[in-house]
Amino acid sequence: MTQRVVITGLGVVSPIGIGIGQFWKSALEGRSGVSAIESFDPFPIDGYRSRVAGQVRHFDPAQFLAPTQAERVDRYAQFALVAAKEAMADSGLRMEMERPHRVGVIVGAGMGGMVMGEREITQLYQQRKPHRVHPNFIPVITLNSASGIVAMHFGAKGPNLTISTACSSSAHAVGQALNCIRNSQADVVITVGADASITPLVFAGFCSLRALSTRFNDRPASASRPFDRNRDGFVMGEGAGALILESLSHAKKRKARMYAEVAGYAATSEAYHMVIPREDGMEVATTIRLALKDAGMTPAQVDYVNAHATATPIGDAVEIKAIKDVFKSRANRLLINATKSLIGHTLGAAGAIGTIVSALAIETGQIHPTINYDDPDPACALPGISKSVQERRIRVALMNAFGFGSNNAAVVLKKLSR
Amino acid sequence: MAADSAITDRILTALAEYLKRDKRSIGTDYSLRDDLGLDSMATIELLFKIEEAFDLQIPDQDLQGLVTVGDVIGYVERRLKPAASAKQAAKSPVKRSRTRK
Repeated sequence: MTQRVVITGLGVVSPIGIGIGQFWKSALEGRSGVSAIESFDPFPIDGYRSRVAGQVRHFDPAQFLAPTQAERVDRYAQFALVAAKEAMADSGLRMEMERPHRVGVIVGAGMGGMVMGEREITQLYQQRKPHRVHPNFIPVITLNSASGIVAMHFGAKGPNLTISTACSSSAHAVGQALNCIRNSQADVVITVGADASITPLVFAGFCSLRALSTRFNDRPASASRPFDRNRDGFVMGEGAGALILESLSHAKKRKARMYAEVAGYAATSEAYHMVIPREDGMEVATTIRLALKDAGMTPAQVDYVNAHATATPIGDAVEIKAIKDVFKSRANRLLINATKSLIGHTLGAAGAIGTIVSALAIETGQIHPTINYDDPDPACALPGISKSVQERRIRVALMNAFGFGSNNAAVVLKKLSR
Repeated sequence: MAADSAITDRILTALAEYLKRDKRSIGTDYSLRDDLGLDSMATIELLFKIEEAFDLQIPDQDLQGLVTVGDVIGYVERRLKPAASAKQAAKSPVKRSRTRK
């Protein structure tokens, strides 16, 4: 029998707060986590076209992790572990009461261990001393280092996977965790999205793609402007989001608090272009329809959309086109927001953080503001997008995530009836 | 005039290499997107090569105005002009002092 799947724990490391409490409070206040990048030591920041990012400030690994844990993984995996610890504590799960092979870990990560990666690569080519490459280099940059360290910390011996599909990575992590539990491969999946690659080379790479905002370097908090007429590209971010996905029967048995049900998921490729979406939005519309079908829902039942909305000139308009195509006149009654307006684009973490925001929207009935939505672009304007907090009972939420490599994902969450 | 045709020639050569076609088949009035079939990513790649060839850095906000091959040629000429006239100004004072002597 197919299991139903629910979310029982949340955890986050973000540019607007470490921990769900601080994150959600900041989100509702419309606080921006985007700030100026001081330098990419040793490169002065004025060598870069974009000079702002959603940075996680005051993150001291020693505060959260044992020295052996902190030193052996890169920043993105440290974020992943901190978020996972919060989510597990939030869920009330006790590993000693669980069968360890029934608890899995699925991580979505786009870039992975780039902090140490770039350092070691640079050092090798400058000094030409292969013997001086750090022994931890391989374990740190291997893209499954986060899923490994999370499993090790909790003794979770179930399916252990890392999904890397750029900006949609952790949306797929949520979706694959859903499938895993539906198919009874696991009772619980610690589901994480994480990325921390605001590094000299990666940041330069995104600048060279001409994908980043460059016109608001003097006003960092204004730089991430999804759906706004003056948007000029996305703002890079870093962070991690973690969710505990669990079968409904398992959660009920231990009387867990449930935020929402993960009702549906779709994974598709546009098979079109590495970085450009199909401008007519038809592929995105298909992904949304497939996710709703998987959830057994119709467009008429959806109340809220946590949009992918990176603030690229083309991407935002494509997403709204797709939403209008799927929802028809209901598009005007949907509540829609863009979490990236607050924290920038956290790449591999975006899908998980978007799902967290959707779960909290269902739980609280509150939709955080889309900041910098000062002059709505007519191609994107829908009545449900707002610079203010909105309140409504949310029964069904849709979360979109679209990745480089022509990769689309959509997740549908549903409020559980009491 | 000599500077113009040299710049034009280098840009057409770069375009021809990128597109793998004869540079004589590329008109300066050709639209990068509609006539040469370059999508936004290909345009960025091409301009990256132009930046390298002319030791320029093209800011994001200047990209919008580069619609045709002629736009690219005109843009590069304008960007190189200040450097050319600065070189001229640097040469003149030396000449004048020689004639005075």
